[in-house]
Amino acid sequence: MAKKDKKKSSKGVMQMLRSRTTYLIIIILVIGFGAITSRLAYLQTIESSYLQEKAVEQQLRDTTISAKRGTIYDAKGKVLAQSASVWKVVLAPAYFENNSQRKEVARGLSDILELDYKDVYEKTKQKSYYVIIKSKIESDTRDKILKFSKKISKKNSKLSRVIELVDDYRRYYPYEDLASSVIGFTGSDDQGLEGIEYQYDEYLKGTPGRRITAKNANQTDMPFQYEQNDDPKDGNSITLTIDETIQSIAEKYMKQGIINNNVINRGVCIIMDVNTGAILAMVTVDGYDLNNPYDLPQADLDAIRLLPEDERAEAESAALSAMWRNKAVSDTYYPGSVFKICTSSMALNEGLVNDNSTFYCSGSVRMYEYNIGCHLRTGHGTQNFFQAICNSCNPAFIKIGEMIGRERFWNYYQAFGFSEKTGIDLPGESEDIFFSNDGTMTDLNLATASFGQNFAITPIQMITACASIANGGKLMQPYLVQSISDAEGNVIKNMEPVVKRQVISEETSKKMCDYLERNTAQGGTNNGYVPGYRVGGKTGTSEKLKSTDGSEDYIASFCGFAPADKAQVACLVFFDTPKGGVYYGSQVSAPVFVNIMSEVMPYLEIQAEYTDDEMKYVDTAAGSYIGLSTEKAKIAAEKDGFTVTIKGEGDKVISQIPHAAAKIPADGNVVLYTDETSESELVTVPNLVGYSVSDVNAVASAYGLNVSISGITTSSSSVSITQSIAAGTQVSEGTVVSVRFGGSTTVHD
Amino acid sequence: MLPFAEVMQKADVNKLYDEKLRQSKSAQNRRKTPSKGSHSRKKKIKTMMRGMGLDLPFLFLVIVLVVIGLIMMFSASYPVAYYEIGDSFYYLKRQLLFAVIGVAGMIFVSFFNYNKLHKLAPIFLAISYIALILVLFMPSKTGVRRWFELGFFRFQASELTKFALILFFAHWGSKYYEKMQSAKYSVWPGVIILGTTAALLFMEPHFSGIVIMTILTILMLYISGMRVRYLVAGGGFLLLVIFGLWVTNSLTYAMQRFDGWGQALEYTTPEMWQTTWQTRNSLYAIGSGGLFGLGLGQSRQKYLWLPEPQNDFIFAIVCEEIGFFGALIILIIFALLVWRGITLSLRAKDRFGKLLGIGLSSQIGIQVILNILVITDWLPNTGISLPFFSYGGSSLVMLLLQMGIVLSISRTANIEKQ
Repeated sequence: MAKKDKKKSSKGVMQMLRSRTTYLIIIILVIGFGAITSRLAYLQTIESSYLQEKAVEQQLRDTTISAKRGTIYDAKGKVLAQSASVWKVVLAPAYFENNSQRKEVARGLSDILELDYKDVYEKTKQKSYYVIIKSKIESDTRDKILKFSKKISKKNSKLSRVIELVDDYRRYYPYEDLASSVIGFTGSDDQGLEGIEYQYDEYLKGTPGRRITAKNANQTDMPFQYEQNDDPKDGNSITLTIDETIQSIAEKYMKQGIINNNVINRGVCIIMDVNTGAILAMVTVDGYDLNNPYDLPQADLDAIRLLPEDERAEAESAALSAMWRNKAVSDTYYPGSVFKICTSSMALNEGLVNDNSTFYCSGSVRMYEYNIGCHLRTGHGTQNFFQAICNSCNPAFIKIGEMIGRERFWNYYQAFGFSEKTGIDLPGESEDIFFSNDGTMTDLNLATASFGQNFAITPIQMITACASIANGGKLMQPYLVQSISDAEGNVIKNMEPVVKRQVISEETSKKMCDYLERNTAQGGTNNGYVPGYRVGGKTGTSEKLKSTDGSEDYIASFCGFAPADKAQVACLVFFDTPKGGVYYGSQVSAPVFVNIMSEVMPYLEIQAEYTDDEMKYVDTAAGSYIGLSTEKAKIAAEKDGFTVTIKGEGDKVISQIPHAAAKIPADGNVVLYTDETSESELVTVPNLVGYSVSDVNAVASAYGLNVSISGITTSSSSVSITQSIAAGTQVSEGTVVSVRFGGSTTVHD
Repeated sequence: MLPFAEVMQKADVNKLYDEKLRQSKSAQNRRKTPSKGSHSRKKKIKTMMRGMGLDLPFLFLVIVLVVIGLIMMFSASYPVAYYEIGDSFYYLKRQLLFAVIGVAGMIFVSFFNYNKLHKLAPIFLAISYIALILVLFMPSKTGVRRWFELGFFRFQASELTKFALILFFAHWGSKYYEKMQSAKYSVWPGVIILGTTAALLFMEPHFSGIVIMTILTILMLYISGMRVRYLVAGGGFLLLVIFGLWVTNSLTYAMQRFDGWGQALEYTTPEMWQTTWQTRNSLYAIGSGGLFGLGLGQSRQKYLWLPEPQNDFIFAIVCEEIGFFGALIILIIFALLVWRGITLSLRAKDRFGKLLGIGLSSQIGIQVILNILVITDWLPNTGISLPFFSYGGSSLVMLLLQMGIVLSISRTANIEKQ
């Protein structure tokens, strides 16, 4: 029985073992393995992409390799902006083993790089392999860093990886502040921030390269696994229409103009090729040094220092943006009388006026409750159309505006491109401020608009409109970039001039050129006349909105072009708020225009065409007649076009006045001395100021002196203003006295 | 270890089995009619196929796992070996050597009659306890004392304990199989043995060891026939003990292991980010593998991202390189091994063999499950190695010797049948 029981129980135990083993198998193989399999399945399907992304993020090192930014050239290929190699100091503080190493490196780096020791030391504490210590260091600093790195790695080879120098580029502007408002500058990441650098950033910046390498947890590269190199593509180079020479000339005289007239609010000069719209020079003075665009002028700094501390930062950034502002495209102003060339063109083009039209000016016009005065309070009286332009007579232009009417005025206003941006390839171009956006205006608006007041346009709009009047009526799109070429120098894009529309007919244009040429010729320097050149132009003095201190501020401008019969260049000169006593465009801007144009036009190889009158005064160089026999010398000098006076009894010329190569008038008098006694004969220089050209010539020849004539001589009212040798001075006969003439009519518009 | 070797020497296994084989053959021949000669030849071939009683599928599965394990261990370890030791083959060479020793040992042990171990079980347990005590006096830099440094290799004391524990409970369960229902023969030995073992492991400290020992103890007692209600009560008691330890702050080391559990992917503090580094990179590796993997040898995480990729976290690299499907195949092989091991053990002629075989086979399954739960962040990061894969000479040899015992059980089971 017991045996049976035992057997039975044994059987029961066996069964229990079997069933429990089944449970065990279920627990281990079904539940356990099921759990881990589903967990793996979850991680490797649903979570896979997320985890993989995270893994790749830590495994791959994505290094950017800077691309070299393209060069900016002027029209003649001179470098205006260029990138040069510099280096970035990068620290891998994770390699440091102790604080004494950190201190040593922080001390060394802060000394070499002139940084604050504490800041650098803080950076050495980071657990990172990439901490930028300083960007854009030069090669001499780089050498010092390399030396330092070598020194510390000699002590401990592990430190050799702590300091890394990464290639980078830095922007250089060899001409410093030249065309600063046009070229602009770049930021710390080599991105264009202003001007052309900003506008053409896409072309200039190139494509940075990438190096993607697999790295292990020690941050060292795994060279045998997926390395992907994308070479940087250097930026394209840009050739501007700006010509460094012309730009320099313009800047030189503009700076002078700023100083001479105590101009408060900077000045603008734009020189444009009227036939293409290409900008040859665009000046905003004073500019700033492009290599240090964040350095404010001392005056600004002083002003900021006087402010309460919490206002300084704001004031500084305001001062900076004012300094960087390209006034030629970003500022609007009342064009004033310069706009009369547009009003005139409208009237002419519409056939509303002709040479015989007459206008009467009593000195003011009454409109509604307003009295609009002419700048000549006494009135211009009865004048024809041409005289109205020369007089810059406001009542006459109010009348002309009335004839044009509001609708046509608005249509022409649009046609001249004032209602739209010119589309010049610069950032920050402003729009005009007209009475309304759709052209509706009152009669009073029209009246003031017809002489250029109470609506604001940009300087670039003004010169573009002026160019269209000069070039036969075509409104061009102004542009600054001539061509874009790739890093190898192949031109990839060439800008073609864009004609926007025909604004006025060619006849109207011709007529306007004629009027404006005669206008400058009559007015002389103060109207922009440049001797030897046929210049057309118009002065303008526009009132600014009254400033807070109640003083009346003005913008003095001059807009002109040359040659008047076949216009090539237009030039706008514009001074904002001259405070030097005079403020009229004729006094402030016209002389600067003349100076600029008289240098720019010979440079552009525009042939001087002197009038017969002027021809007489064009100086030529005296030949050398010394050593020749008296007879031969006389023949030679006369052959050169000079009259000859022989002094002394000798048969050989021993000296001459003027000296060889001296400039004398083409029909000047050459005195040849044949013996020594005759050399000591002197004459007294008479007063030559206040006479007409013919009078001066008569007096001078009576004294046996030569006169070199400069200034404006075409106008019948020209008088001599200065003489180079003071009256009463004893000089040798034949000595050249320079006499400068000036126009006597000055329009104070 | 001396007694173990002694036993093996003493065992005249070959003679014993040849005798039995002959007997069974003659018995067969007697039963079968002579006309079925061709059939008997087939039987003979089949017997040969069984490797003289060895369970060939089980042997095959073991060899397959050893080979795959070696390949994956090499793939996972060569960057670490290259960077840290300067010899890409360092770990492979050593593991290969131990694998050869282990397989040879396994074959050798399979010819040995496991029944001889029956009586040696308490001695084994005593030896393993001595080892656990001795190991506490080994020099250690980290304060963790688990290994005997034996020059060429190091031996983890708990490896021996694991085996001794299974052996002891197989011995106990078979000896007192009628009395296992009573608490006196099931609960108290369990509490005493496990308590002693856990106390010793606690001092190392070696918490993953305690976890495995606990599971193995419960498993062995369960299949031995202990009442389920005791198991439930024991489980409750264990929880109380853990709670008590936790309250008294005795679990500092283990608690650190719990830090960051389940939040390896979230950045909280730099310290935590560092703590969860290994688990996080394990998850990255597993996830990167996707369904089909990056290709054998193509793991990126093994490039120092995943620390010690050759050890506990090797399966993460496996998942990364051969993807989910590859990992699934390996898990299936493991499952087949466990299945085969348990089922063949059930056919053993005696209760001791059954319990021992089931215990040894289950142990592999349990380690696989725990290991993968750890690398997938479903369990805190504790040191549980993956059988046949993780680097470690002594554990591989121990494992293969234990597989040898299972094979020895299979041999007797087959003979029994025939």
